[in-house]
Amino acid sequence: MTTAPTPVPTPAATEMISGGAGVRTATPVPRKRVRSLRRLGGSWLATVPLLLFFLVGFGLPAVAIVVGAFTASSDAEAGAGEFTTANLTDSVQGAYQTALWSSVKLSALTALLATLIGLPIAQAVVTSRFRALREAVLTASGVLANFGGLPLAFAFVATLGNAGEITEMFDLTDHGWSLYSFTGLTVVYLYFLVPLMVLTVTPALDGLRVQWREAAQNNRATGFQYWRHVALPILFPSLLGGFVLLFGSAFAAYATAAAMVGATVPLISRSIADALSGNVLVGQGNLALALSLDMILVAVLVMAVYLPLQRRSARWLS
Amino acid sequence: MAQLISRLRLWRGLVLLLAGVYFLVPMGASVWFSLDTNHGIDFAAYTGLLSAPGFTDSLVLTLELAAVTVVVLLLLLVPALIAVRLGSPRLRAVLEVVCTLPLVVPPVALTAGLIGVLRWGPDYLMDTPFFQTMVFIQDPKFPLVLVIAYVLMSLPLAYRALDAGLRAVDVRTLVEAARNCGASWPRAVLTVVLPNLRGALLNASFLTLALVLGEFTASSILGYQPFAVWIYTVGNSQGQMSVAVSVLSLLITWVLLLLLSTAGRERRRNTTTH
Amino acid sequence: MSTTTVDKKTAVGATVEFKALRRSFGVTTALDGLDLTINPGELVALLGPSGCGKTTALRILAGFESHDSGQVLVDGEDITGVPAHRRDAGMVFQSYSLFPHLSAADNVAFGLRMRGAGKAERRRRAQELLELVGLPQHADRYPHQLSGGQQQRIALARALALQPRVLLLDEPLSALDAKVRLNLRDEIRRLQQELGITTLFVTHDQEEALSMADRVAVLRAGRLEQCATPSELYARPATAFVAEFVGTMSRIPCVRSGDSVVLLGRPFAVDGTLPYDGELDVLVRPENVGLTASATGPALVVSASFLGSVTRLTVRLADGTEVKADLPTEAAAALPIGSNAELTLPDRPVLVDRRTA
Repeated sequence: MTTAPTPVPTPAATEMISGGAGVRTATPVPRKRVRSLRRLGGSWLATVPLLLFFLVGFGLPAVAIVVGAFTASSDAEAGAGEFTTANLTDSVQGAYQTALWSSVKLSALTALLATLIGLPIAQAVVTSRFRALREAVLTASGVLANFGGLPLAFAFVATLGNAGEITEMFDLTDHGWSLYSFTGLTVVYLYFLVPLMVLTVTPALDGLRVQWREAAQNNRATGFQYWRHVALPILFPSLLGGFVLLFGSAFAAYATAAAMVGATVPLISRSIADALSGNVLVGQGNLALALSLDMILVAVLVMAVYLPLQRRSARWLS
Repeated sequence: MAQLISRLRLWRGLVLLLAGVYFLVPMGASVWFSLDTNHGIDFAAYTGLLSAPGFTDSLVLTLELAAVTVVVLLLLLVPALIAVRLGSPRLRAVLEVVCTLPLVVPPVALTAGLIGVLRWGPDYLMDTPFFQTMVFIQDPKFPLVLVIAYVLMSLPLAYRALDAGLRAVDVRTLVEAARNCGASWPRAVLTVVLPNLRGALLNASFLTLALVLGEFTASSILGYQPFAVWIYTVGNSQGQMSVAVSVLSLLITWVLLLLLSTAGRERRRNTTTH
Repeated sequence: MSTTTVDKKTAVGATVEFKALRRSFGVTTALDGLDLTINPGELVALLGPSGCGKTTALRILAGFESHDSGQVLVDGEDITGVPAHRRDAGMVFQSYSLFPHLSAADNVAFGLRMRGAGKAERRRRAQELLELVGLPQHADRYPHQLSGGQQQRIALARALALQPRVLLLDEPLSALDAKVRLNLRDEIRRLQQELGITTLFVTHDQEEALSMADRVAVLRAGRLEQCATPSELYARPATAFVAEFVGTMSRIPCVRSGDSVVLLGRPFAVDGTLPYDGELDVLVRPENVGLTASATGPALVVSASFLGSVTRLTVRLADGTEVKADLPTEAAAALPIGSNAELTLPDRPVLVDRRTA
């Protein structure tokens, strides 16, 4: 990944997720109305800088994307600056369709694998008696998941690239291995997605109460039945939420793919970067904005699934 | 029972071992790669780092960007969050939306949007303050536009870190107690609330720092050269050095984060033992 | 609600025996040779301060904890090797034990599902049990939609669903509000008697133990101090620990005089032989201490707290000893703080104990 901010706590504050989005607000006290009114005025004042910054810094680019996506480019042969849906239509056709599709495929596959791999690792870490191990794994996960994109790509080039140490040691190239293929990218993506999953699911595993396991046993459940009927169903929103989050991260990733020069897998994030650097046909200057809009739509879908799931698991596990 | 326990330990050990191998091999191989040359082991990739062209400049630029981003972010976010805790819950929902929305716009898309805005300055506006502002924020010596992008990107992370910290302390009661003891509003916040948020503030700052240090998307597309972009550029000519820097930066960030979380735990232990 | 359809003949309780049960965690000893027998259909409360081993004993019986030595017998059978999920004991936990993803009915029927019971049977049985605990209309609610008291009722129904021979209650009321606690206390007792199920009830609340149990077992540092009916425990505590843990006691220094003691210039006979060497205290309950107003009396009234029909006065004697006395509230009105009084004690002190610092 990249520098995409993920809504994942640092290991130092893993409680964040479990408490996450559940809006639990204190009931306002009705007494002393005047004072609370003054307070409200105060709160508005203190939030104004942030809201203004957001309106300008986030609002303007957002408007630029939407307006640009529906406007003919200034270098278009005719009708520059006029309303058009051509950008959007182009953005889901041909090479761009391929890129969008392979981005979705790569993201879905890696997110799924990372979910399946991350869960047992997180469980092993959570149930470990060694506090230091937990701390080390969680902080390492934080670094890999939030910071790692570009450095990770280079580490993999050095390890499994064409001249990588492991590649040469085992003559992997002769066996058909290529880091720059779909499989290769999958391996690299897992390197930051698995830690992200560990971070995401750890608070949920911590939230599994001992009483549930014991109550299940007390009601004749075997260890397997406990996982099948109690633990996994309770974890399900967290796992699904985690999967969706991972998908979003993989989908947004740019640095990793960009650093692996020569990768043959087309990705939407790279298409946007290419389009932004003018690497498009004449008259398609606004195509990057249309592609961005596509990407945002996918991300909105992802969030629309993630947030309610996260809220539910917060309610169960808090 | 003992059998069950040993089976559990075995399973856990195996999982951790496999994970350890998967995650340590590329690190080890990278270190080896950065040392291994035709004429044996050579530390040139590390020793030559400081004198490498662009290294110091890009690192300094990145650290400056990180510092400014952290300051701006905290100045915007902390007063808003504290005020919202004390004030109306409706505003809190607004803040939550504001701080979650950036997640919906991937960095590439945000960058595209920013470029779209920067192109809005047509020539006939050349002499207006608007245009000058546009030029100012794109100054290659210190591109403020990157600060804007970084603040937006770290908003969700920092919001969650700070919100978790605020959740742990009852801000309203703290402020009321301080006011009851005769402290003014600003004094109550400065001397009572902020010290209790130290852990959360550190946490948010560090996450932001890590994010800015590793940020590549916006800076590379907008054409600036902070640290991550420098690593990328150097990778084209000096592969070993770029790998060396990559591994070093990952390790240093990890150690810093580990120290921070240990310090945070010590503090928590101290506050709960009485 | 009183007409229960639960099959009573299968729900007959078992005998539970702890024999010389020992368990230590590292350096701390949780159980130090516990011996206790619980008769069929009996409700025994395990009472003691935190860390006395009462919860450990319960968890060993449930199979969640193992013991180092000794035996646990249910109907004469040693259950040591039986895993938790095959033990015939339903348990109610302190709190938060309901599965959050299941409705009340599904929670109750969980054990039946584990056993492979069909959907219709599970539904029918869950409904029966929900009626039994007075929540038939809450079948489709989820735990987070229920109050603390309701959650514990559901947990009780779940524990009873498989008609276990033993019911284990691990401080099930301690997380509830005072009023709900009182209600549920009566409810649990009524159900337990109706079903005739052998019940082990862990609590640190003496009032709870005394009001609910057939017998109360007081534990201290992993050992049984005394197991007796509530009234016996109160009136004839076996040790000073039990006497002071259950109810209120005042300690008054006394002087040894042969086989009896002298207290406030008056001899008192002692039950049996005097247990210890050294200096002695007499332990008396406030309701056994009498006070009469007297300007020359040795006791000075230092405080009064109104408890309803009685008022508890604290008086100080010449040597600084403080004694509590419960007087009818009207009588207490004649003894304002600062006044002097004559102190009268019952003929026989409850207990004599070695003086503590």
